[in-house]
Amino acid sequence: MNLVSDGAFRGVLSALTVGASLWAGYDVILLARLRGRGKGDPLVGDQRFGYAMGIAIGLLGLVGTLRFNGVL
Amino acid sequence: MVATVASAGDDPAPRPRVVSPWNAANAVTASRYVTLPFLWWAVDRGYHQYATLFIIVCGVLDKLDGLAARVFDCRSAFGEMFDAITDALCYGFALILVASYGWAPVVPVVCVVTMGAANTAMRVIYARRAGRAVNYKSYAMERLVGLTGFLVGFATGGMEVTFFYWSFVPLMLIIVLHDGKRMLIDPVPVPVPGPMPGAGR
Repeated sequence: MNLVSDGAFRGVLSALTVGASLWAGYDVILLARLRGRGKGDPLVGDQRFGYAMGIAIGLLGLVGTLRFNGVL
Repeated sequence: MVATVASAGDDPAPRPRVVSPWNAANAVTASRYVTLPFLWWAVDRGYHQYATLFIIVCGVLDKLDGLAARVFDCRSAFGEMFDAITDALCYGFALILVASYGWAPVVPVVCVVTMGAANTAMRVIYARRAGRAVNYKSYAMERLVGLTGFLVGFATGGMEVTFFYWSFVPLMLIIVLHDGKRMLIDPVPVPVPGPMPGAGR
């Protein structure tokens, strides 16, 4: 029992994943804003680490979507 | 009725404001549990698209509860904890479900659930160290939880399941080790009066 065709379903999955991955690009901006701030402050360190992980997660999503669509 | 104390935002001399746990944001959070029986039904019947739809609804509700908290101004430490616990239970259940039906590899799912349980235990220890109901705010874990929702969706949608599940494990290990050091070893920050910094609710 399907809601949409298989092709459309693949398209929706790809679009959602790429959309979320691109949103992680916002972390690049947030990370850039932290440059030179709060050296040695653990709370700023948490933010920096979190944004870096967000970028890594975004890249993972993009690579996975490219693999899913046979590009990689 | 149990009430949670939150700080008033704009008062020059902040005084505690009582936020009932029976608020709109926590209702949205609680409604996420409703999606789980439907998810189970869809996985059991082999309806991949319906299963994906239900996990998407669960993920969207996760975003909406934060919005409801801001709109109705009902942020509280309890709400933040409730959200974290709901994330763990909903996504933990969904991951175990897809693994038990053979839609996802078992070993990464066991690793993820184990690390999730360890992370929860560390949060409890952190709250005890702090001596108050406090949730360690992890920017990295927030992003990883978002990916966990997608992880379930990748399994229900059959999208690069092996790649995503095995890539997830080292990422989560790095984040749990980082957060573990922050919660168990580093000093607990002293609470500052005023708005709760970065509280989800």
